[in-house]
Amino acid sequence: MREANDLAECVHEVLREVIDPEIGINIVDVGLVYDVSIDEAGIARITMTTTTKGCPATSYLKDGAREAARSVAGVQGVEVQITYDPPWTPGMMSDVANNLLGF
Amino acid sequence: MNGASLSRWTLSYFASGLAALLVGEILLVAGFGFPSHALDSPQTLVLVHLVAVGWLSLLMCGALIQFVPVLVAKPLAHPDLPAIALPLTIAGLASVILGFLGMAGAGFGPSPWLQLGGIGLACGFALNIWNLGRTMWTARPIGLAARFVALGLASLAGVIALGLVFSSTIGGWSANDVVVRLTSQAIPIHAALGLGGWLTVTAVGVSYRLLAMFMLAPEAERRTSAVALYAGGAAFLILLVGGPVCILVLNRDPTHPLAAALVLATLSLTCYGYDAVGLYRARKRKKLELNTRMAAWALGCLGLGLLLTLLATASGEINRSIGALTFLFAFGWLTGLGLAKLYKIIAFVTWLECYGPSLGRRPTPRVQDLVDEGRVLPWFLLYFLSVAVASAAAFFGAPFVFRAAAAAMLAATGRICVEFVRIRTLRFVSKPLLPQDAGAWPRLLLTKLQPLKS
Repeated sequence: MREANDLAECVHEVLREVIDPEIGINIVDVGLVYDVSIDEAGIARITMTTTTKGCPATSYLKDGAREAARSVAGVQGVEVQITYDPPWTPGMMSDVANNLLGF
Repeated sequence: MNGASLSRWTLSYFASGLAALLVGEILLVAGFGFPSHALDSPQTLVLVHLVAVGWLSLLMCGALIQFVPVLVAKPLAHPDLPAIALPLTIAGLASVILGFLGMAGAGFGPSPWLQLGGIGLACGFALNIWNLGRTMWTARPIGLAARFVALGLASLAGVIALGLVFSSTIGGWSANDVVVRLTSQAIPIHAALGLGGWLTVTAVGVSYRLLAMFMLAPEAERRTSAVALYAGGAAFLILLVGGPVCILVLNRDPTHPLAAALVLATLSLTCYGYDAVGLYRARKRKKLELNTRMAAWALGCLGLGLLLTLLATASGEINRSIGALTFLFAFGWLTGLGLAKLYKIIAFVTWLECYGPSLGRRPTPRVQDLVDEGRVLPWFLLYFLSVAVASAAAFFGAPFVFRAAAAAMLAATGRICVEFVRIRTLRFVSKPLLPQDAGAWPRLLLTKLQPLKS
């Protein structure tokens, strides 16, 4: 269980390498990553969203997250699910993102 | 599904529109059309259609085929139909212009240019209306921004219908009493539906979403937004139904429906302005990007134009000032907003095209790394300043000053277009972040839809 949690944390960290191109900040600090978990088979399950439903970058963000997670040693596979429940709001951004945007 | 929301043809529409804008501005500098010629002269009709159809309508259609799928979260019903609609629209516009030049005394043979042009424009726009309308229909229920777009498309259909009537009458295909009366009296309705119903309502709808997206402001649907929509819809109905009823049934000119529509449009735009200010205030992005700063100038032109229209109407000066006011709406509000948003949209589309497939695989630039706002800012400021001077010169009847200001507008627009080309050619991206694969570089006028590498 601890191994899975550590692996999930590694995946979470590597997702910081994927940026939201419009905002220019990584998708974790923008608040687009809702959940990361690792199942018994070592499959990483990422639940994420986009800043707006129908965003033209959706498939690129989804694929980018999958590719980044796949690079983590120990991850056997990656499943990325896009959800709009709850919808993203600017209030979901981290303090880091708020500081970068001037707030 | 990758790239399904990236329109292949949007940039072709933008490039065609910008070419028409530059030609229109060259005509302004040359003293062709208003204010050097009368408002109802064939020369002014050439200029008006070049700007309203060639520039603003192609710009709007290009933006809609990209953003309607975003507004309704559904792919475009017919992704390649815009490729057929574009040449039809351009050919129709060229034919209409030849028809107007023929009216001005230039001989282009006996062909029915006006009528053929009307048919070409109707076919081109009908294809886009069908495509966008079907996309929204399959996504019901649609949100507020998309409902504005639907209202704008309905207005466009009204504009096209009246345009067909006018072209068949002026071209001599029809001498029916009904169409002759419409042609002689419904031109203000045609113009109001085009500039107000089609272009402004659609710009309002799209900007509700774009302002929220680009400033990171909450996308709440406010009561004032609904009032803006319903008041705009009522103005549209009064123009489309009340105008012809007034002319054909009551045998009166359409002054009253136009005045009623102006009151409702004022209510609608006041609510929109209130919402826009609210979006600026509620934004999470403290330092505004150039596109949203310049959009604020365009919004200012809209507010000023509306205020001056009300004052001119109340003081009985509307007939004398309508040309200058239309100029302010077309170039200050619609063109100003269009150029500002293009600066962002072209960068965003280019980023998606070049770097989307690389996301998560290698470092990618931000969208903002594709632009250099400091270089282009003085040209945007020159553009808005020269529009203000030209509008005032048109109002006060100073044609030399007007043409000098138009020359400044042309210089600014031309330089902004150069910046668009630089964005497309990745001139501002640092060398390590340039695409490694030669095939990933963008083409200037046509978006590539690259497959994902996995």
